[in-house]
Amino acid sequence: MSRSLLRSVLEFRTSLTRLPSPPAFLLPSRSLSTTPTLPQNVAPARSPSQTIPASIPQSTPTTPSRFQKSAPTAPSPTEAAESLAQLFPLLRAQPRHYITAHIHGFPYLVTEGDQIRLPFKMPGVVPGDVLRLDRASVLGSRDYTLKGTPWIDSALFECRATVLGTESEPMRIKIKTKRRNRRSQRVTSKHKYTILRVSELKLLEPTA
Amino acid sequence: MSYFRITLHRSAIGLPQRTRGVLAALGLRKRCQTVFQPVTPDSAGMIMKVKELVIVKEVAQPLTTKELRAERRPEPGFWVERAVPR
Repeated sequence: MSRSLLRSVLEFRTSLTRLPSPPAFLLPSRSLSTTPTLPQNVAPARSPSQTIPASIPQSTPTTPSRFQKSAPTAPSPTEAAESLAQLFPLLRAQPRHYITAHIHGFPYLVTEGDQIRLPFKMPGVVPGDVLRLDRASVLGSRDYTLKGTPWIDSALFECRATVLGTESEPMRIKIKTKRRNRRSQRVTSKHKYTILRVSELKLLEPTA
Repeated sequence: MSYFRITLHRSAIGLPQRTRGVLAALGLRKRCQTVFQPVTPDSAGMIMKVKELVIVKEVAQPLTTKELRAERRPEPGFWVERAVPR
């Protein structure tokens, strides 16, 4: 009884291995990157020769790729523009996107509808103000990722966040005292934090 | 007149008093501090005494402390598009 069960399980397993290639959603996703066109970031121009890492010896094909120590280099501006022109419409056509927006240099990976609790109280804003986030380093979707070097051109996306309000941490009390000293000082802290909600994340039409 | 932009990269802990004196004369009190000294044989000699500890660059004009801090400050990354009437 058990032997026939085992044989049927083995048959089932071999029939599974003969299936065609896995569906599209299991295939690895593609990535593209861009170089910004802002004048201040063009400075030390990357010549095409720099993009070819000199440390990889082409004469030893037996070296596995996982032992390569060189960091990935940014593509040349022409390559980047080409890849952007080809793949950005595909990224734009996907239904859901995420963005890594930088506020005061700190990255926040968010999508539309997310709530961000900033680690500080933003001065000069009132609940209801709409902020436009224009610094982003990564813009992606399920199958495509746009990685800026170091920032993404702000003409490619629109990201808005609404200020919901401020919240505060619970009161924490620090007792300052020294050994063998009867005097002790109580210092209380109750910091406030601003909450934002990402109300809009839109990828714009690429203008050439 | 051009200036040396001097940044203390290595700490002076454990170094002799003479070296610490040179750093004090240059105006360097702590690591990663940046000072500007005019390009003269005197300041050049002081830099040569502590050349292993500092990073030096020649610039045209010195920066004030406010300008130095503005250099390090990251961009805000946002702007208020629509403000609620206060």
